[in-house]
Amino acid sequence: MLQQLVQSTIDRKVAEFHAHELPKFNFDKVSVDSSRNERLKRAIDNAVVRNDKGRQLKMLELPDSDRIRTLAGDIKQHTLDYLDYYLIQFTANVEKRGGQVHFASDGEHAKQIILDIVSSASVKRIIKSKSMVSEEIELAHVMEAAGLDVVETDLGEFIVQIDHDKPSHIVTPIIHKDKESIAKLFSEYFGTPYNDDPEALTAQARVYLRDKFRKADLGMTGGNFLVAETGDVVTVENEGNARQSMTTPRVLISLVGIEKLVPRMLDLSVMLKLLARSATGQTMTIYSSVFGGTRSAGETDGPEAAHVVLIDNGRTEILASEEYRETLRCIRCGACLNACPIYRKIGGHSYGSVYPGPIGALITPLMQGLEQYKDLPNASSLCGACYEACPVKINIPKHLINLRRDVVKREINHPVERLIYRAYAWAMGRPWRYRLASWGQKTTLRLIGHKGFVRRLPFPGGGWTQVRDMPEPAKKTFRQLWQNKK
Amino acid sequence: MNDPHNVIGKVSRSLGRSAPPATVPDPPALQEPLIRLVLSDIGLPALFEKRAKENKIGVTPLRVESLHEELIGYLKARRVKSIALPNSKFLNRLEIPRVLREAGFIVSIWDQMTLDQLYDVDASVTDVWRVVAETGSLVLRASPEHGRALSLVPQIHVAIVEPKNCVGDLIDLFELTTREGSSSATVIISGPSKTADIEMNLVTGVHGPGVVQVFLLK
Repeated sequence: MLQQLVQSTIDRKVAEFHAHELPKFNFDKVSVDSSRNERLKRAIDNAVVRNDKGRQLKMLELPDSDRIRTLAGDIKQHTLDYLDYYLIQFTANVEKRGGQVHFASDGEHAKQIILDIVSSASVKRIIKSKSMVSEEIELAHVMEAAGLDVVETDLGEFIVQIDHDKPSHIVTPIIHKDKESIAKLFSEYFGTPYNDDPEALTAQARVYLRDKFRKADLGMTGGNFLVAETGDVVTVENEGNARQSMTTPRVLISLVGIEKLVPRMLDLSVMLKLLARSATGQTMTIYSSVFGGTRSAGETDGPEAAHVVLIDNGRTEILASEEYRETLRCIRCGACLNACPIYRKIGGHSYGSVYPGPIGALITPLMQGLEQYKDLPNASSLCGACYEACPVKINIPKHLINLRRDVVKREINHPVERLIYRAYAWAMGRPWRYRLASWGQKTTLRLIGHKGFVRRLPFPGGGWTQVRDMPEPAKKTFRQLWQNKK
Repeated sequence: MNDPHNVIGKVSRSLGRSAPPATVPDPPALQEPLIRLVLSDIGLPALFEKRAKENKIGVTPLRVESLHEELIGYLKARRVKSIALPNSKFLNRLEIPRVLREAGFIVSIWDQMTLDQLYDVDASVTDVWRVVAETGSLVLRASPEHGRALSLVPQIHVAIVEPKNCVGDLIDLFELTTREGSSSATVIISGPSKTADIEMNLVTGVHGPGVVQVFLLK
């Protein structure tokens, strides 16, 4: 009965939420809007460029940063190629240590599993640490809507939660916000005087959240890695809130994507050396926690019940494609976002997806469907900075080109674009057609040009001359000049 | 088999087989020259001290004879009143609980207190399982005598480290973990809790201790 009530509230709230979703990626709009946003650019320069520089410096400490990235990529690739084997091994090892593994086929299924655990354990207060998967399935929102007392405990995510906003970066979720707007938000939320000192703001959140930690009966974490041979979940963080989640509450749920496995404990020595360096230019993140199953006999903290929810949500579709499988190697460090000249210009919200930046432009269409996100593969200059930054060597530019190919193959690009290419193919087919086309083009442009420049191109070229003029073509075409020379 | 919720079955089919394989090839070999950053076991405590300080962990190298005096002085200077300790043979052998009580601190031992009480304690003084010289990190493992919360909840964490606790590289640490088996929870601590979420301003002491101090015995 309660379950039904909870479910119906969720369904309604989820429907409402989707109705207010961020607009889908629209290249024209975001590139113009965001490039005019001075404040966003400053914030991005401050955070993203700094982390990118930090990464480049820190990678120099490694004996051979190129080959260790190859090794890390190979380890992840091997795990993906035998993922069914490692999932079974991981499950058995979690169960040996008193924990439970649940498999969720999609977001709805995962939410159902989690709500079942919540209701059967009579949980009242939930603390949640940062996890990209929970963003992916909008978990906190759904739990809030179900009337559960759930609080995001990562400082950035907490600010996102109370402001009903969305994160704009995988690692640093609120780089789009300045301290003035956070101070205003806190002043309204807590009913306290305005103070925009970051230390004071952090202290205020700390006091509020510490009480939540103390009273929580369910902790939620994500997982940066899962160790198949031991059944351990590994979380990596700077604040200590993920540690709180696996320390204080009596129930623990770790919600993780199925692709997060590594075979051996020893693999962590490779992964941890790369993750923090790539993400924030740190040697190590402050807390790397390795935990598995329930508390051991005699221990008085840690969970009495431990659940790992492993979610598919479109990942097996990617796995099935040998071409795109390697995109699942991603360890969510955010290095490709920081390195990307497009991300730096337009910011994370422009992508209309939980996963922004180059990796987001790649996995969002793969997981959610290319039709809906067909513009995302174009949000790249294909410069290759992302590939160079990637600690597991995902060839992002290659895959983005392949996705563009898929868009054309499936004829889901704009009809006018298809028409233009068809006309182009026709013109290139025979020399006389080419001559005709170039004569036509030259004549038209010289006709509409004025004093050597074309100020406004006719449809469909209007967008091109919106911000610049086009020089008039020369009187004679190259072919004519060539003929005369002979 | 075609149950939509059978994720492992779906994974197998995605990989082009009808069932998971019984055995798999070995994962890629971990080529140590690519991974290892600390090549020698000589001078590990000094390297640990250097790296830990880079991580903003306070490190005081000292002889065991001066430990009591230094520790008490350190805690008093920070106006600590109450202290929590693990029930540690090492700390008991050094007579830390007795000495701290005699110095006037309110001392609670982990297996004789509740987690809730820990939230009102000013500082913890712990031993460590290992420290990693490469990264300047403390490694602590949960046990009935040493709770996970000890190095997390109080705002000041003081650790007493012996030279024999030092391992060189993260590989050495994970080799050791592989040999000895996982504990229910292991944490690698590489500095005071911090955040840079607000305009990249570094603030220490968010949800974990804002101060981490090591007394490194010679």
